[in-house]
Amino acid sequence: MRFILRRVGMFVFTLWAALTLNFFIPRFMPGNPLQDLVARGRGKISAQAMADMLASFGYKQNENGFQQYFAYLGNMVTGNWGVSLTVAPGAPIRDMVLSALPWTLGLIGVTTILAFLAGTGIGIAAGWRRGGLVDSVLPTTFVITTALPYFVVGMLLIEVFSVTNHWLPNDYTYDYTIVPGFSPGFIGSILQHALLPAAALMITSVGGWILTMRNNMITTLAEDYIRMGRAKGLSNRKIMYGYAARNALLPNLSGFAMSLGFVLSGAVLVEWVFNYQGVGYLLLDAVDSADYPLMQALFLLYTVAVLVAILASDFLMLRLDPRARAKG
Amino acid sequence: MKFLRSLLHNRKAVAGLLILLLIVLMSYVPGLFTSNSNPDTLGQYDPQLPISTAHLLGTTGLGQDTYSLLVYGARQSLQIAVIAGFFATVLSVLVGVTAAYLGGVVDDLLSMLTNVVLIIPTFPLIVILAKYAGQSNTVMIAVLVATGWSYGANQLRAQALSLRNREFLESARVRGERRSYIICFEMLPTMSSLIVANFLGAALYSVGAAAGLQFLGLGDQSHDSWGQMLYWAQNREALEAGSPLWAIAPGVAIAVLGASFALINYAFDEIGNPALRPVRRKDLRAAAKAEKLRKEGTDHALVDAA
Amino acid sequence: MRRTTVVAAGAAIGLAATAALAGCSSTQHVGGSSGGSSTGASATGAHKPGGVVTISNEQGQTWSCAFNPFSPSYQLQSLGMIYEPLVYVDALDNQKETDMLATGYTWNADKTQITFTVRPGVTWSDGKPFTAADVAFTFNLLKQDPALDLYSLWSAAGLTSATASGNTAVLTFKQNAQTYFYNFADQVGIVPEHLWSEKSTFGGKSPDQWSDPTPVGTGPYEVNPCTANNIQYTANPHYWQPSEPAIQKVEYPAYLSNDPANNDLASGKDNWGNQFVPNIQSFYLSKSPSYHTWSPPVSNVALFPNLKQGATATLAVREAISYAIDRTKISDIGENGQEPPANQSGIITPTFSQYQDVANLQTSGYATTATSANTQKAESLLSGAGYSPAHPLNLTVISITGYTDWDADLAVMKSELAAIGINLTVDDETNGTYFSNLQNGTFQLAYYGETGGPTPYTELREELLSQNSAPIGQPASTNYERYSNPAVDSLLDQYATASAASQISIIQQVSDYMTKDLPIIPVVENVDWFQYDDQDIKGWPTASDPYAQPGPAIVPDMEQVLLHLYSASAQ
Repeated sequence: MRFILRRVGMFVFTLWAALTLNFFIPRFMPGNPLQDLVARGRGKISAQAMADMLASFGYKQNENGFQQYFAYLGNMVTGNWGVSLTVAPGAPIRDMVLSALPWTLGLIGVTTILAFLAGTGIGIAAGWRRGGLVDSVLPTTFVITTALPYFVVGMLLIEVFSVTNHWLPNDYTYDYTIVPGFSPGFIGSILQHALLPAAALMITSVGGWILTMRNNMITTLAEDYIRMGRAKGLSNRKIMYGYAARNALLPNLSGFAMSLGFVLSGAVLVEWVFNYQGVGYLLLDAVDSADYPLMQALFLLYTVAVLVAILASDFLMLRLDPRARAKG
Repeated sequence: MKFLRSLLHNRKAVAGLLILLLIVLMSYVPGLFTSNSNPDTLGQYDPQLPISTAHLLGTTGLGQDTYSLLVYGARQSLQIAVIAGFFATVLSVLVGVTAAYLGGVVDDLLSMLTNVVLIIPTFPLIVILAKYAGQSNTVMIAVLVATGWSYGANQLRAQALSLRNREFLESARVRGERRSYIICFEMLPTMSSLIVANFLGAALYSVGAAAGLQFLGLGDQSHDSWGQMLYWAQNREALEAGSPLWAIAPGVAIAVLGASFALINYAFDEIGNPALRPVRRKDLRAAAKAEKLRKEGTDHALVDAA
Repeated sequence: MRRTTVVAAGAAIGLAATAALAGCSSTQHVGGSSGGSSTGASATGAHKPGGVVTISNEQGQTWSCAFNPFSPSYQLQSLGMIYEPLVYVDALDNQKETDMLATGYTWNADKTQITFTVRPGVTWSDGKPFTAADVAFTFNLLKQDPALDLYSLWSAAGLTSATASGNTAVLTFKQNAQTYFYNFADQVGIVPEHLWSEKSTFGGKSPDQWSDPTPVGTGPYEVNPCTANNIQYTANPHYWQPSEPAIQKVEYPAYLSNDPANNDLASGKDNWGNQFVPNIQSFYLSKSPSYHTWSPPVSNVALFPNLKQGATATLAVREAISYAIDRTKISDIGENGQEPPANQSGIITPTFSQYQDVANLQTSGYATTATSANTQKAESLLSGAGYSPAHPLNLTVISITGYTDWDADLAVMKSELAAIGINLTVDDETNGTYFSNLQNGTFQLAYYGETGGPTPYTELREELLSQNSAPIGQPASTNYERYSNPAVDSLLDQYATASAASQISIIQQVSDYMTKDLPIIPVVENVDWFQYDDQDIKGWPTASDPYAQPGPAIVPDMEQVLLHLYSASAQ
């Protein structure tokens, strides 16, 4: 119980710290939404008209900072995120975020899960068959692929698969001439458009899972209970999956939970390179044009996603690992 | 010394160190690699020339020699990685070891801080900071340090906690040594391999994050760097418009720099935990023989022993 | 590179969720059923309906499906296409006017009152008739809600009343309003009174907050449908011009960055482009004989020196800079040759060549077009001011983050100026910060391009009129370098009431001050980016027939282009 309370306290404190940072950092930096709108109108459009418009959206240039801050904290908690100031003046932020969210979750979320599953599988095989072909080639290869910058891989894939050969689309979430709906064409189009960004993500992220899983596996195989299993004459299959892999997987699960939490915030470059309209791109837009309310809502979302993932992994560990239960 | 020897016997470490050495040379003695001492200047040559002896990697769309640009870009990329990695590690050590050694409320507070920084989504924060704070390397390094120390601090705290009650520290305390002495001269040397590993991890993180920021146009525009080259290459459609190496070369270079840190780091793991080392054929044969002698299990013998 | 004159909107609203309920098991293509049906008005022998135009114009954002013509962010999607102006003014063709919702207008003698005769037989896309009352209502709406009055018609221009009677609408001003004609006749889209006067239309918001998701206008197109990724416009069957528009469908996909937009243009997926295409010859033009480009220059990109403080206040320093830079090289490298070199007179060539005082430009020592670097002259001027390569002058120039062509321009200038003894530092700032520094005069040099207008007068007035300036620390409207010369002011003031012939002479006299005082240093010429594929779609604007600004980011010109286009295969 005490453990849970501590975790929840931690959750609230972190959330507060993140929200506070995100409130003050943009405001202490040069530039503001009004300046941005005036700059976009190239001075042709009256600054007063813009200030009036922003005021009617709830942004007042000279309002007391602390008053704004407390109002902001309240609004974040109650989900009253307001309207966009500069990216799409007047559009409700909730709608903007909700329509971008499924794309990010779908592409990055699914790819993260696939990378984890594939990486874990290969890692188990490599750790089990020490010195086999898999084990001797893979670690070095994947040490290098994990160091590849995502966007470089993305650019190269676009060059080969969309520019030189028109095999796969290089941008958009689906073919915009198709009416969205539960039709084979639409779903096929979504999958087709997700293929290249997903491939680039896989190439750069699967290596990490393989390496850690292999190492965990090797460490676990040296444990006494594996020897014990062998002595009892259990089948290899049983030892590999039931004893070794199961225990080797535990430390990786919390890492996996963390990476699921970072799905939303880690997507910025992915979405930028592939013109993929998710929440990462929305953030770049918001930062570009000093759209404070949009930035704040996105940051809230990112932080909550990580926190929820961590809490979930904590509770999962409590269930799966008796040792953690004892400590708690 | 023993550690150094095992490092030099590890293939991955040697490969990583050689790459790093090459990049260090490129960074500080670029004259060894190219005679063009001002590769930034636009319009020195015709744009988009193909590979030739005069232009080993062709020329860029802006009329620069891609190869010499690559050589001169090394310094910034390396410096950002090393400096940011260094300070992030220093911060990790300070926070992690202090928290573990002092314990109590200080530990609670510092651990809280570490966890908060660990959880806050970093890349978006970096983008916000870099966008508004202007494009200077100092700001970028500061941002990378501020966001990159927490993982290491957590690890170091854990190790320091496990050391706290070891006998050699007890005896130092009994001798009446001061806390700062104990931390600096007793604890830290014991933790050195983890600290080095942390530095490598932080440097690897900085290579990627800095390149990502530069690629988005948030880097220092006035100095050449690999991320900067990618930014320009992307803006001028280098891949499609006839100078693909302008984009590919710095991309590969960033990957190679990152890989060198990763290789050395991985080698550290292997040295610390010999079981992780790849099994070589020679060793395999010996192992197989031993296995047979012990007549234990069949699976290891199944491994190709030819 | 992010370069668009008016940055439009974006963000996603209600995408798959609602549509998912509608579509079922078969894949439907947007507008597939309605797209082919004709307007039935093609009997006049004009172009038969058909064809699709797909626009490639990077906005950096997804569409928010908002069409409020009074929001600077949404004008791009709605002005012209949906909401038409009274009169269309062609900036590229000597201000040639085309009557749109007005069939004509008359000024009173001192040009303080203008009477528009409105076009009969026009209906709104919901079937209701368009009247003069709609015109008066639209202008009065701008008074009620000043946030809509983007061109300060009721304040700066001195509009005092807007009334309607019968088929005429009258605008009355405090002073001569001729220079605002472009703003109120060409830039204000007329909206329907029967919808915009009802509070319920705006759903409890004020008109400036309203997104106007399903616009009702008089224009040639209707939105059908809009998603975050794409706006599809289909022909308005009730459009008042017989057998127009010929193009039945316009696709306007949202591009987040230049890369994919350029790729789609080069692959032929898009046929109307509006952005910088690097190495256009190999990247685009060489890929098909039907690919063309014509990007007409419209205004200057110039170094704005601070005339009030620092070394740039010294004439010799400015002269040295203007002599030292090789504008042709800057154009070749920085702009890939696609934005031509500018000249010190500030007159854009070839667009406005008839205004050029060629003799003066020759004698001033600044050549008419390509100005090759005159390093020696620059060096001696600079050493006269006390600087040399041994004692260099340090100057910082501000520019905008992400404008990479400008970065490249400045990189070339940096190395050229270093040769004569000026250390140029480039400071890239975010759009908002940059513009605030520019307006407040807190810079040494700024790289900037004014918006310009239908004649060189607009740009020269923006740059040189002392009323457009302000003390350092206060925002100037357009005279950022803070030039102040009573002789120039009085010339600019005479222009509005002068005859056409003496207007040319006034512009020439003003541009002579550009070569004498160097208030700004033009470097390259801003162009209206334009690429097109005429394999099927014909009727594009060309250098010989510049009937409108050709890029789709310029409104309401976009409407004019679409009204001229037709599909060859449908004929």
